[in-house]
Amino acid sequence: MAQHATKTARFQAVTANTVQQGEVVYFAENGAWQPRLDQAIIVEGNEAAQALLQKAQRPDAELYVVNMYLFEVVKTKNGFKPLSVRETIRAAGPTTRLDLGKQAQGE
Amino acid sequence: MYRYDEFDQQLVNERVAQFSGQVARRIKGELSEDAFKPLRLMNGLYLQLHAYMLRVAIPYGTLSARQMRKLAHIARTYDKGYGHFTTRQNIQYNWPKLAEIPDILNELAEVEMHAIQTSGNCIRNITADQYAGVIEGEVEDPRITAEIMRQWSSFHPEFSYLPRKFKIAVTAHKNDRAAIRFHDIGLVAVKRDIGEKNYEIGYEVHVGGGLGRTPFIAKKIRDFVPKAQLLAYLEAIMRVYNMLGRRDNLFKARIKILVHEIGEDEMRRLVEAEFAHIDAAKILAVPKQELDRIGAYFAPPNYESLPAESDILDKARSTDKAFDHWVQTNIVDHKIKGYAIVNISLKPIGGVPGDANAEQMDAIADIASQYSLDEIRVTHEQNLVLPYVKKHDLKNVYDMLAAQNLATPNLGLISDSIACPGLDYCELANARSIPLAQEISQRFADLDRQYDIGELKVKISGCINACGHHHVGHIGILGVDKKGTEFYQLSLGGAGDETASIGQITGPAFTGDEIVDAVEKLVTSYIDLRQPGERFLDTYRRVGLTPFKEQLYAPD
Amino acid sequence: MPLIKDKQFVDDPFTQIDDQAALPDSPVIVSLARLQTEAQTLAARNQPLGVIIRADNIGKTKAGENVRDLTDYLPILSLVALEFPEFRNGRGFSAARILRDELHFTGEIRAVGEVAFDQWAFMMRCGINAFEVGAHVTLAQFSEALGELSKAYQPACDDKKPILWRR
Repeated sequence: MAQHATKTARFQAVTANTVQQGEVVYFAENGAWQPRLDQAIIVEGNEAAQALLQKAQRPDAELYVVNMYLFEVVKTKNGFKPLSVRETIRAAGPTTRLDLGKQAQGE
Repeated sequence: MYRYDEFDQQLVNERVAQFSGQVARRIKGELSEDAFKPLRLMNGLYLQLHAYMLRVAIPYGTLSARQMRKLAHIARTYDKGYGHFTTRQNIQYNWPKLAEIPDILNELAEVEMHAIQTSGNCIRNITADQYAGVIEGEVEDPRITAEIMRQWSSFHPEFSYLPRKFKIAVTAHKNDRAAIRFHDIGLVAVKRDIGEKNYEIGYEVHVGGGLGRTPFIAKKIRDFVPKAQLLAYLEAIMRVYNMLGRRDNLFKARIKILVHEIGEDEMRRLVEAEFAHIDAAKILAVPKQELDRIGAYFAPPNYESLPAESDILDKARSTDKAFDHWVQTNIVDHKIKGYAIVNISLKPIGGVPGDANAEQMDAIADIASQYSLDEIRVTHEQNLVLPYVKKHDLKNVYDMLAAQNLATPNLGLISDSIACPGLDYCELANARSIPLAQEISQRFADLDRQYDIGELKVKISGCINACGHHHVGHIGILGVDKKGTEFYQLSLGGAGDETASIGQITGPAFTGDEIVDAVEKLVTSYIDLRQPGERFLDTYRRVGLTPFKEQLYAPD
Repeated sequence: MPLIKDKQFVDDPFTQIDDQAALPDSPVIVSLARLQTEAQTLAARNQPLGVIIRADNIGKTKAGENVRDLTDYLPILSLVALEFPEFRNGRGFSAARILRDELHFTGEIRAVGEVAFDQWAFMMRCGINAFEVGAHVTLAQFSEALGELSKAYQPACDDKKPILWRR
């Protein structure tokens, strides 16, 4: 599996997949899991990132989400975007089927 | 083909009930993810990048029209209208919801299908030659043995928690279309003289082949295992592996590593010793009655007596050039006069290798019902086969396939590549595979050019696990990840058939923008280097890596 | 830990003891090493004797202990405990079958360690007849696990008549 975030990462967010559908979600305000990256909490620095991950890992989290981890995002003029190809694809959908995944649902 | 009896059906139903219970417990939170994961993996359910993925077994690659219609129905009802045929004669659905998995499994059970042991560290779906029963020169129909092994390996109490997954393939033909030398166990049915012009059928046994991180060609550890002793011999291999296989390191856990570490001779000695213990018990010889019962399901159909050639076919070929091309590339000689084996390419130019949508699946089922005695096969190269088409029906079949974009005449050509799902879907992938396959097929879309290039097997994997068989591609492409960016490594000279070889890496990897140009350079080098009649692989084997490498890395 | 033997909860008369510990005057389970070095002493005691076979990645081949090393000692053994160090380590399934099918051991074969609901039925088929189970496990759950698959395709160490042989 590709590495999600390096120690030198500046901005990070927490992602997971839902138990029910396996859908990609991001850890957001009020302890909610949201489907779009622009709804995610983005933190700066490794310490804040670890704290965010810890906050996301509530004891009952496993009822809703699995496969939770931190990943690196970068600031662009259109907001935060994932750094890796992998997270870009997770955030959007298969690049070979633009009619499927989040990219098809319109922003 | 094989039909479930009450026992088969009851077991599949019970398994569906069992797994439905596990899903319900997971959703209610009674089962933790840690506990649920190995259970769902025993039933072909993965969690991928965007969603769950369900892998459904197509035992030894044989499907009925009715089953194909069900696969279409599932794609339409529970998924996003398509499915993906894999290199191990499975179909994968990419978007099922966890709560609906029991419904899908119930639907599958209605047509004698399931997802049992399509993942996990157990004996996986048994695969076989897609031309089983219809190709000339076969020792027998290998699916009889495959079906016996399917039953024997299903819910095997001793071998369901192996060090790692375990794949078995079987063929009964000297031309290996099932990549048996790259399986944990590969079987070849062979004949042995027993005097007075009589012969007996048994199996040549190859062990320890595999792709992945460390590719190995299987070692032949037995020239002949008599049919009655096959299961005992298989249990001997499995027991040696289960006892001695590495469990301390995931990457060293496959049987190929055990065979490599202890050596072929020691492996043979251990298996023979174990076999002596097991065979002594004599409990694993399948009764002749049962062999006959299963064999009867694979008895040849009532073929019509047809002329060897068909005027209708000849006439259509002379008037329709596209059809003629398709007949030349996608049709294989049938062992019965007047019949043909039709290969359906799931590699339309620019398409996703192995994908079929629900409409296509339904159309294929209809064609099979009308023209191929209700039967369809799945190949390890991610194509489909209609095994019983009359020559004089070929034009009708072609027209119906063409209407669904299923008549691309490219079998074995450069655009007929194998590709794993790659980073577009797969949790384990490091790079995308499908877009490369699409770009390569578009680059070489011109059919005359493809015919000029001839047989060229391109195989693309999005990570070192090698689901796209890159090690055995004439041209192999491996996607790697460098700090979140995709790179592609090339290898040359691999072959998954009876001339088994593992490709050699050319050198430094290419970026996604460079890789298709690099493939084109290799093709150009081949055209320059080839002698009359040589395929890409032949030329490579004659001249070696260097001349290709020089062209590949020459400064522009 | 609670013990289910022959499908019933039973009191466990055996104590597992360390290699250095003195032998109590009661049934004990010793390591393979201790069995090999003190076989005579152990046999002379008038108490049932058990041994534990470790399946973990020990030894040069990382294959755990070899159950066939028990061959000479089986006459003095009442119990062989097979270790299942983690859910995914299934060496003990083969060890049990070797004990039953090849070495014809008729005493208790006990599964210890990570022994889960979903494995009991297969373990039973391989000849294991005693199970260490978690404190919460009920007999009803145990029978449910055994009953999930009513039939078997292949022969093993139980009396289930395999489908391949009975049609």
